[in-house]
Amino acid sequence: MHDWAQIVRDRLATLALDDEDAAQVFDELTGHLEQDYRSLLSEGCSEEEAVRRALAGAGDWQVLQRKIESSRKKEPSMPKRVMQFWIPAFVTLLLSMACLALIQIFGPSPWFAPAINGWRFVAPVGLVYIPWVFTLPFIGALGAYLSNRAGGRARAVFSATIFPILPYTVFFIIGLAIAMVLDDHVARNLTIPMFFVGLCAWVIFPGAALLAGGVPAHYFSGRLDTRQIYNG
Amino acid sequence: MIGTGIKKGTAELAILSVLQDGPLHGYELSRRIEAQTKGLLSFSLAALYPMLYRMEQRRWIRGAWETACSGRRRRCYRLTRQGKKKLQPLRAEWSELFTALRRLTKVSNA
Repeated sequence: MHDWAQIVRDRLATLALDDEDAAQVFDELTGHLEQDYRSLLSEGCSEEEAVRRALAGAGDWQVLQRKIESSRKKEPSMPKRVMQFWIPAFVTLLLSMACLALIQIFGPSPWFAPAINGWRFVAPVGLVYIPWVFTLPFIGALGAYLSNRAGGRARAVFSATIFPILPYTVFFIIGLAIAMVLDDHVARNLTIPMFFVGLCAWVIFPGAALLAGGVPAHYFSGRLDTRQIYNG
Repeated sequence: MIGTGIKKGTAELAILSVLQDGPLHGYELSRRIEAQTKGLLSFSLAALYPMLYRMEQRRWIRGAWETACSGRRRRCYRLTRQGKKKLQPLRAEWSELFTALRRLTKVSNA
């Protein structure tokens, strides 16, 4: 009696599938060959002839292996761009917005402070803004890690990392600039120094903070991947 | 218009047509195709299983493991709703191809 399972395993020894997947393929092909062999025996073939014909029916084993590998390759459920850019980008955007909102809700409330002309309503912008900027490196690191893990290249990784500043960038660089030119209602009280303060506060500093987390995360997760490859 | 992938479609059409009659495992499927075409169409392992796996990925067929009387596990394939939908245009393509070929041979014989 032939050990068809062993024959299949030997001939497809280098099948590049994960263990469970490969075991299923081996079982299925073994069953097929075994049935073919039995059927040939029952038709009156000698054992030798039945083995030869059953194996011949398999065709070229190398072709079989290559075709099985390509046909069982799991197609990614989402396009690469979504995994490498859009998901990490929206994670960083949502987290940064959520952090800002949480700090505003649970952080210090506005209060009245003494002023020359009496009391003045003071909003603790610095007390909200500074803790928020300190959360950004962690968020940037997470975005870079997610993009890196999905196989994103540097451009996708860093675009996803700084994605939260995109709305502010659009606002300050494009929106406000257009408004200053076209609509004097919007820009009447706005001076150039104020514009740069806003640009620094909402684009440049947060962008730098996000990259402060994203760059090391990209570098270290890249190194980790390389080590895993070398260790097999 | 005959699709460029029609050659590949022959195997797909054969498998889907046979599975329309009921679920079968790989070996039975290849024997059934061979018997019904009087040996004109036959599948090697290298042709049959990659095709089945690909069709399963496209959700035209669904495979499920079952245990035979002999105790051996075998994978039984059945046609899905998507597979049934796919079968109709494939049949139409083939019918169109044969009509075109018949017309062509009549013209060249005339």
